Amino acid sequence: MHIMEGFLPLEWCIVWWIIALPFLGWGFFRLRRVLDADREALPLLGVTGAFIFILSSLKLPSVTGSCSHPTGTGLSAICFGPAITSVVCLVVLLFQSLFLAHGGLSVLGANIVSMGVVGPVMGYLVYRALRDSRVNVYLTVFLACAVADLFTYLTTSLELALAYPAEVGGVAASFGVFFGIFAVTQVPLAIVEGIVLALVFKYIIQLKPEILFRLRIFPEQAIQAARDGA
Amino acid sequence: MRYRLEAIALLAVLAFIGLFILTTSMAPDAEFAGADNAASAQVAALTGRTVEDFTPLIPQWKPPSGEIESALFALQAACGGLVAGYVFGRWKGEANRGRPD
Repeated sequence: MHIMEGFLPLEWCIVWWIIALPFLGWGFFRLRRVLDADREALPLLGVTGAFIFILSSLKLPSVTGSCSHPTGTGLSAICFGPAITSVVCLVVLLFQSLFLAHGGLSVLGANIVSMGVVGPVMGYLVYRALRDSRVNVYLTVFLACAVADLFTYLTTSLELALAYPAEVGGVAASFGVFFGIFAVTQVPLAIVEGIVLALVFKYIIQLKPEILFRLRIFPEQAIQAARDGA
Repeated sequence: MRYRLEAIALLAVLAFIGLFILTTSMAPDAEFAGADNAASAQVAALTGRTVEDFTPLIPQWKPPSGEIESALFALQAACGGLVAGYVFGRWKGEANRGRPD
């Protein structure tokens, strides 16, 4: 999902920065509010952020014969919402821009929008739609995480397509080409990522269910059912 | 079914490895380069320029070799692993406190 430094024209870099900045500002504001309200949220933030660090450092081989990163943002989006998740993504993507030449400072806005804004927002919407339904907690986590991963790459494809429309067929044709590069590679990764993060959520439920009630992440009976079940 | 989710995760990882072995045997010349680079190459193809023509808008440090790059990626993963392990360990300790060993 990294657009490489120099591969996005300046005007598009500015557009994506303008979209990313208010979101980051809201994220910093929310972060202060959440941590001021409950210091016990900090360890949970540490765990969800840590898995973004771990998963986004893994470049995994896929069926297309190329490698790609999982994003790991779904769990954080579920527990803290997309705004705070975008701040964690800022930290990871800044590290990768400065030291790994994955992404860059000019394209950082675009990469934050894909990994830190659109992906987490879509994952969060899936979680909100399923939270109070009868759907199993782990299935909800799995779906939210997989959707966050896939939409990150969908967004990257769109960002590239908008900047480089094809001569024949314009943005849509170009989007199809970029989506073809990312999507098939990403589907197996998104599935494995969803399952791994659902497993992580199981351990959070086992060790610290109180924090999930306190932050109202899932209804108590859903957590209780999950503890008794899988 | 206490470990159902663990079993599913194990199967998923095994399937993932199986898929990788299948891919390497069906396409022996697959390079497993980054999809990010494939997208960059596609940008170059669409604009009729070469990948080298795209110079950073903001000057950028590049890891001098693949080894250094992988070391820095490992560092990133290790930081995440440390934090996750610390918190899970702390929660585990809190949950066990007050219980007889």
